[in-house]
Amino acid sequence: MILGRLTYGLLLVAVLSGLALAPFWSAARPLESLETLNGATPWGFWLRGVHALSSWGFLLGTLAHLVEVLSKKTDGRLSPGVWWRSVALLPVSILALLGGFLMRGDAEAQAALAVWREVSASIPVVGRALAALLLGVPGSDLAPVALHHAGTFTLLAWLLTAEHGKTLAPDLRSTVLAALGSFAAAGLLPVSLGPAIAPAGALLLGPWYLLGLQGALLHLPVTAGWLLPLFLLAVVGLVRHVDGRWRTTLLAVAAAWSAGYLAFTVRLLLAAR
Amino acid sequence: MFRTRSLVALLLLALAGLLAALGREGQREATRGRGSDRAGGKVERCVTCHVRPEEDQGGAHARAAVGCSSCHLGNELAFDKARAHAGMEPEPGALRTVSRTCGRAGCHVREARRVSTSLMARASGIVSVNRWVFGEIPEPRGTATMAETLAKADPSPAERHLGKLCAGCHLHTLRENRDDAIHGNGSGCASCHVARKLPGAVPRPHPAIDARVTDDRCLGCHSRSGRIALTYEGLHEVEKDQAGACGDAATTLHDGRPACRAEADVHRLAGLSCIDCHLHTDLMGDGRAWEHSEEQVEITCEACHGPARGGSEGKETTWSEVTDPISRDLLRQRGETRPPDERVRLGRRGTPLWNLRPSGAGWVTLRKGQGVALATKQTPIDPNHVLPGHERLTCSSCHAAWAPTCSTCHTRYESDGRQWDFARSAETAGRWVETSDGYTARPPALAVRADGRIAPAVPGMVMDLDATAAGGPKGSRRLYSSFDPHSTGKKARACESCHLSSWALGLGTGTLSLTGSRPAFRPATPAPDEPRMASDAWTHLDAEHPGVGTRVGLRSLDAKELRRTLAVGACVSCHKDARDPVWKDFEASNARLAIGRTRCAFSTKG
Repeated sequence: MILGRLTYGLLLVAVLSGLALAPFWSAARPLESLETLNGATPWGFWLRGVHALSSWGFLLGTLAHLVEVLSKKTDGRLSPGVWWRSVALLPVSILALLGGFLMRGDAEAQAALAVWREVSASIPVVGRALAALLLGVPGSDLAPVALHHAGTFTLLAWLLTAEHGKTLAPDLRSTVLAALGSFAAAGLLPVSLGPAIAPAGALLLGPWYLLGLQGALLHLPVTAGWLLPLFLLAVVGLVRHVDGRWRTTLLAVAAAWSAGYLAFTVRLLLAAR
Repeated sequence: MFRTRSLVALLLLALAGLLAALGREGQREATRGRGSDRAGGKVERCVTCHVRPEEDQGGAHARAAVGCSSCHLGNELAFDKARAHAGMEPEPGALRTVSRTCGRAGCHVREARRVSTSLMARASGIVSVNRWVFGEIPEPRGTATMAETLAKADPSPAERHLGKLCAGCHLHTLRENRDDAIHGNGSGCASCHVARKLPGAVPRPHPAIDARVTDDRCLGCHSRSGRIALTYEGLHEVEKDQAGACGDAATTLHDGRPACRAEADVHRLAGLSCIDCHLHTDLMGDGRAWEHSEEQVEITCEACHGPARGGSEGKETTWSEVTDPISRDLLRQRGETRPPDERVRLGRRGTPLWNLRPSGAGWVTLRKGQGVALATKQTPIDPNHVLPGHERLTCSSCHAAWAPTCSTCHTRYESDGRQWDFARSAETAGRWVETSDGYTARPPALAVRADGRIAPAVPGMVMDLDATAAGGPKGSRRLYSSFDPHSTGKKARACESCHLSSWALGLGTGTLSLTGSRPAFRPATPAPDEPRMASDAWTHLDAEHPGVGTRVGLRSLDAKELRRTLAVGACVSCHKDARDPVWKDFEASNARLAIGRTRCAFSTKG
């Protein structure tokens, strides 16, 4: 499928641009290093834009490809194991992108880090250890976050994509198209940083792909931060194993979940205005 | 799969994107500052652009030492102007952000906290007295602050009055939310510590910050209400139609109000500024939420000049016992030290007067601005200062030469007018109008404070109030206020100035007669509601209850005190000298006169 291949290409562009950005980023002074990259490094803002936009493209592509697979009912072509691992690509991608967001170190990223730490810590038994493992302990620098962003989750995303696409690397044509698209987008749509310090009384927004969850967490207990996504993954994963009315029901639940998520996103954006 | 047409389209799009990026890159390179990006040992990218010498104020707050963002906030990491200026505080020290500017960790944390709880910020005295006058609270006291008052969604008539007339001076009111009376002053630390921006002055890129607060900065607010800053300078405000009567003494105040020159305070004539007498706790508070200014102010006349009668004020210690950290910091900043065994005088709550130093057998006061030492005379233990019957008098009862006086205040609310509203930072419907028949400068009257001591007083609110259009009361109030007018004269007022003055005794303007069997008073203009009383009076000779003041317990002399004072008045015309034997025991002297053991020349002649 074209969409899947293009998404793989975007992943490669994101990885390569990320490697190019790595020398400019400092775990101890994240915002300072990114301001330097944006404001004092030739073409730094553009390189960062390429990385961010190709990553977002990868996530959007993954989502769109999932919808494509479900609508064309081609999920049955994958073995159950590969299907579940492909479904897992969605949270892995989000975690990889969230790491990148946290690495900005601005007020929005700091707030998101605190929220995500709470959400992780609310997982029974392993929560606190998991939070420390993925995000570091409170007060530490962002090195653990960077490690999992560039290492754990990116490698996992690559492995899961490679298994799903049955190829270790995207083809050249997809990669070129993905690169050209990212270059164009980075020039036309500059990616800004958030405020250094939270403005008094302002509602800080997390990454755009998690705004629905942020909106839901304003009303729901913190455990909803992992229970709601887990519920969606279970529903989507189970679609592969049922047919007929059950499949329709599960897809309807997933659609309702997505609609609710979108509603929370819109509501949060309106509140932030 | 992908057609060549798609590839070409994407190539064109990528080219457009790269061209846009090229433009951005050129703009970034052209607008980026070239100065150093460090100040005060930390990254400070503001100074890559702000490199002009006039943008550096030098001193303790020099650009190289603290950068810009320490005071002005914003984003010191950003190179881009818009990002760097986001969240900037144009007025560092404004109380809305003071904990992150002047009061940030490592800087003036303690001072910022104190100022935020001081009366300059809270103005709770103004709030409570105003609400009491409007009949909204039972006593002229309370802890409600001006900021709380202005924040009310549904303010009472008194609170609306405060919001439109009185709120401009308190420190929480933002600089841009000010009327023309107090222009140039800030809304926090800058109100006092940054030089005033006078109308028409050449704009300066960065004003100077100074711990040595000059009197003109006090004048902005304290030229209103009690007008102590004007009185201290020897100025008294008049109405426009009165200015001509001043003759050569006519002048204009900094904000255009007409005024007349009068005798300046003796301390002013000696070159002393406000801060030379007032302690840091007087001005910035001591962290406690006092209700009225006289509670917050620590300095007393006795603290410098010593007690007249060996009273409790005018305490001393040695520097080894001083624990006040701010006084020690002030000395350190000035490069001064005090030997541990050096004596030091203390304010009412124990704050040291660090600029008052022992010198030989006496004391000298250092002018903080110039460091000039002035000999500070101690109150002599002479007949004038130990005169029997005067034990309750404060120094200013006799030494306050004059006070600005207005006893014909009319306040009304006009719902069809418009006026600036400090609560809304905008002109809103409704207007309070204050009128008077003019101001005068005259020796103050005498009041009895809640602690029993006699102090100067002026008509604080001898007024007609018509707030009916605002849903408030209508009526007249007859309230005097007691405060030190800041018109200290070297010579005390004469005995007759109190003992034979209907004004000083609170009886108002009229004719006092002591020739009959009992004192009599004929008002020049009788009060409409009480013919025995003058229209500008606080009390009258037959009053069952003394007049009420703007503080709990503050009152006029009562009938007994009036009779006693006037009894002395009958004798002071002849017995002018405090050493006169008649004053040693006045009651005994009177008794001797009554039984004929002595003769009164006046009565014999009369």
